[in-house]
Amino acid sequence: MPMDLSLKGLNVGRLRQWLPLATLIILVTVVGVMEPVFLEPSTLLQLASDTAVLFILATGVTFVIMLGGIDLSIQSMASFSSVIVALTIAQLGYVSFGLAVGTGILAGFLSGIAHVKLKIPSFIATLAMGGVLFSAALVASKERSITLGDAERSYQTWVTGSHFGIPNVIVVGLIVLVVAHVLQAHTRFGRYSAAIGAGEPAAYASGVKVDRQKIFAYMLSAGFAALAGVILAGRLSSGSPTLAAEMLLPSIAAVVVGGTAITGGVGSIWRTLVGSLIISVVRIGMTFLSVNIFAQNIVFGSVLVLAVAVTIDRSKIPIVK
Amino acid sequence: MAAETPALSLIDVDKRFPGVHALKRVSINIMRGEVVGLIGENGAGKSTLMKILSGVYQPDAGEIRITGHAATFDDAADANRKGIGMVFQEQSLLTNMTVGENIYLGNEAQFTRFGIVDWGRLYAAAERQLAKVQVDVDPRARADTLSFASRQMVELAKALTLEEHAGDHLVILLDEPTSVLERAEIDILFERVRALKSRASFIFVSHRLDEVLELADRIYVMKDGAVVADLNSSEADTTKLHHLMVGRSLQAEYYREPLQRPYRENVVLETENLSLGHAYKNVTFQLHAGEILGIAGVIGSGREELTRTLAGFAPHDSGMLRIDGQSVRLTTPAKAVDLGLGYVPRERRVEGLVLFLPVAANITLADLATFTRNGLINSSEERCIAEGWVERLRIKTPTINTLCLNLSGGNQQKVVLAKWLQAKARILILDHPTRGLDVGAKEEVYDLARAVTSEGLAVILTSDTLEETIGLSHRLLVMRDGEITHRTDAAPGHKPRQIDLIGHMV
Amino acid sequence: MAAEQWCHLQSAALPERVQTLNNSTTVLSSNNARRPRLRRLRIASWAPVIVLLLLCAIISVINPNFLSFGNMVRISQSAMIPLVLGIGATFIILMGSIDLSVEGVLTLAAVILSMLVLNGENANDYGLFAVAAVLIVGAGVGFINGLINVRLKVPSFMTTLGTWFIGVGVANALLGGMATRINDPWIRGLAIERFWGFPWGVWVALLCLLIALIIQNYTRLGRHIYALGGGEELAALSGISVARVRIAAFTIAGVFYAVGGILAAAQLGLGNAQIGNGRLFTTITAVVVGGTSLSGGQGSVLQTLVGVLIVVVLSNGMVLMGVPPSVQIGVQGLMIIAAVALSIDRKLTKIIK
Repeated sequence: MPMDLSLKGLNVGRLRQWLPLATLIILVTVVGVMEPVFLEPSTLLQLASDTAVLFILATGVTFVIMLGGIDLSIQSMASFSSVIVALTIAQLGYVSFGLAVGTGILAGFLSGIAHVKLKIPSFIATLAMGGVLFSAALVASKERSITLGDAERSYQTWVTGSHFGIPNVIVVGLIVLVVAHVLQAHTRFGRYSAAIGAGEPAAYASGVKVDRQKIFAYMLSAGFAALAGVILAGRLSSGSPTLAAEMLLPSIAAVVVGGTAITGGVGSIWRTLVGSLIISVVRIGMTFLSVNIFAQNIVFGSVLVLAVAVTIDRSKIPIVK
Repeated sequence: MAAETPALSLIDVDKRFPGVHALKRVSINIMRGEVVGLIGENGAGKSTLMKILSGVYQPDAGEIRITGHAATFDDAADANRKGIGMVFQEQSLLTNMTVGENIYLGNEAQFTRFGIVDWGRLYAAAERQLAKVQVDVDPRARADTLSFASRQMVELAKALTLEEHAGDHLVILLDEPTSVLERAEIDILFERVRALKSRASFIFVSHRLDEVLELADRIYVMKDGAVVADLNSSEADTTKLHHLMVGRSLQAEYYREPLQRPYRENVVLETENLSLGHAYKNVTFQLHAGEILGIAGVIGSGREELTRTLAGFAPHDSGMLRIDGQSVRLTTPAKAVDLGLGYVPRERRVEGLVLFLPVAANITLADLATFTRNGLINSSEERCIAEGWVERLRIKTPTINTLCLNLSGGNQQKVVLAKWLQAKARILILDHPTRGLDVGAKEEVYDLARAVTSEGLAVILTSDTLEETIGLSHRLLVMRDGEITHRTDAAPGHKPRQIDLIGHMV
Repeated sequence: MAAEQWCHLQSAALPERVQTLNNSTTVLSSNNARRPRLRRLRIASWAPVIVLLLLCAIISVINPNFLSFGNMVRISQSAMIPLVLGIGATFIILMGSIDLSVEGVLTLAAVILSMLVLNGENANDYGLFAVAAVLIVGAGVGFINGLINVRLKVPSFMTTLGTWFIGVGVANALLGGMATRINDPWIRGLAIERFWGFPWGVWVALLCLLIALIIQNYTRLGRHIYALGGGEELAALSGISVARVRIAAFTIAGVFYAVGGILAAAQLGLGNAQIGNGRLFTTITAVVVGGTSLSGGQGSVLQTLVGVLIVVVLSNGMVLMGVPPSVQIGVQGLMIIAAVALSIDRKLTKIIK
């Protein structure tokens, strides 16, 4: 009996876990065949650069999703962060970046507290926090977009420049990848998160300080979102309350499409990377196919639902609400 | 007796679960107008039988017959329609709805015209149903404003609505109906059931032997998945029933009695007048190193809640809890773990292990700090330790990276124990540790219990069966209605008899 | 709350009290000290009303214009769309689920309506048929939400997150980033023409409330929605078809969102893809502030009415006091946190995700 289970589990599980990577490879091949220019190094580098912001956002929210929660404030956080940078870069220079990320960590801490201490479901706590952040961004920016001048942009070369032909932003993305991967796969926090996501009662009973881990995850999510906002401010040379507004859905889609279960426990940053690349490739593919930019949301929405339907572990949720 | 067709019969019903033969060709008959008692220890098969009767499980083999005609139940609602009603404990009314709505939940169609529910008619009908059980409850009241006893009656009234479908062969299952009732309320319940015998037959499942004798006409005794006796209640008494339920004499070998070493002098945990709400009060005891302290009691005795308090899930309201001399209040399991407690839960798959994590990760979950250098987990060290435990405890697993989901129950339990041993727990709380395990796995657990206590660990044991509690423990506490009613030693060779203890439990 | 509601609405005389046995019944009939649940929940249903009254009192002291008839009309205009949206969301939340697709359905409905009635872009003039078509579309999207939730077992927040974006996406695709001006006098009339001083749209919203009340309290579906929220397993054991109730609830919610879309298009005078922005937030805030529990089983559309009024009155009050709209959003966020924190019965829900 146990042998049967493990055989079955191995077969289906094994296949399923390679699905996202296989999908990415197939997509790249298909698009490459349709438009050979896609496979040229310059295009691929461009793709990677464009994916970086999405990846950083998605990485942050991966930590929360692995715990079994959700963060609906990441786009507002990223936008607010861009506003902070735009407003303070002139006086504070590089410190403005630290300020933005620091604000993100603080916001994440507050969301975490609301969720854990006040027992508010994560989507409400983060939806509300998103509103507060949006409001703050509107007020701070006086409801307008702030364009950065040359003097200010000089501080952002670490985002906009490149070394040896590789855009810096890709390097930043890689650093984020390494840091996040280590956090998720090699630290106690990562282990506890997986345990909480896959079996919170057992983690709780085993002495894991669940509250603490959850708050930390929300701090990471908002912190990475703030970093994404900083980079966005660099790439678009501006800060505005709606700069990242359209990025919520693609970020969550990236996590889920990569194979991290929405129920929590199963997942990794590598998966988020694969998912982010898939989203980017699909977007580029749609551009090549001249699909209406507005219709792209339809595709993403459908992809999201399908991906969840496929990756979800029905044995873990007897009652789907 | 005339050869009357039973209202309900099971013929050679068999049911297996992975590792457990839950029902072994069970046959029972329920005649019209009878109250039949069903007794047996935990794991004897009573609840599996009830679940088959109520349509939740399907039998693997055998037949169910209603008034002589073969029948199958697709699900609970189907069983209802065919004349089987259920009265569970107090949790099965929807608390956010009124009494009347609960009585007719799912059956409102008869009061509906053009899609609109005629509440006047529904509540009038509800009043009539409530009258059958003679309870004065406002059908418009919300269920959560009623006492447990009243809710019980409402459930009875709800079960009686099936009369219309079932006609003369309605059978109502009463599952531990008295565990939350007070004496006066129990009297009323029994009075009503007797009055209703003309309308329905009853199956009365209970741990309380004296109550079963009081209410039932006939009694079935189950043991290890089979029906071992069928007798009239006039021919039985609690001693006889208990003997039938338990049967085998204590096998000293089975519980490894020769390995029971005397416990040490130092007190590792003690309580003084510990109390928690209605659950338990004035609990005072001491736990020594190297000792297995067993706590015996039926549902509602308070031992379950006491166990949860000691494990850190439900801090006590008043009284003192001292661990190693230090007075503490355990508000979370993390605090308990930090103080050296390890909880082996009864819901092993939910609270004991993270099923979707591998064996190695589960073993180290309570002790990750030991493998962490500079914030990073040292996986080779972790692997080494995990392999050590797998070998030492003889855990049967393909690799240490196998998900715990794929292990058998016994091996899963060993992983839980490995976790606490790795975390250097000095006090283990074993909550129904052998539930759902086959005989071989149980014996391995007993071996482990003896091994750890001889190393100086202390164990608090709450077990499924009285026999196991007596067999394993050095000393025993017996609880009833939230208080300790009896204490006894249980040294090897001088184990108390179950008969002696039953009186203090029920 | 349901018990009290129809108690008052019942006009039939109560049947005679049935004879009871001596004094043995007193043990059972009295609510003795072992009554398990407190009256806390009942008090909690009235708290929002008190908050609303307090709010009105405070604001009218600061600015007496608040109580003017003109202001009342303004409040009702601001409240009519959130009310209709909130009604739809209430049914879903009562079941214990969540519906994030509000904006998607509303936008889709508004856009389709704007393209089918007399408008500035094409020669269509379908009038009432357009309204019917839009309601069907709303029902359709709701139906799909329910279907995916039930058949594919995708949790409602993921399902509705997806349909949210699909809805907005389709609307975008249909309009290609433009806006369509509405010229149909009936539609425009909803916002402009008055009846007893209030715009027709407000009366439409009140009619929706009435229909919702009937569904909630007088139909089996309504009671089954409560049952699912109160205990889905128990409900299923009693023979209720969980699948059917869920799909029906989502479908009905979709219809209400579509009505919201029609009213929004009427109010704005055009249909565009941004017409739904920010409305989800207001809707959820209103439902939660009104006291409907997020875990399901407790609440009512009347409570949502109170919640909507609180949110709208607060906004109105802030405007009267000169607070900019950008700050109002933040205040709403804090309000929702406070409302949820105060309402959830903490002892019950051990694991919150």
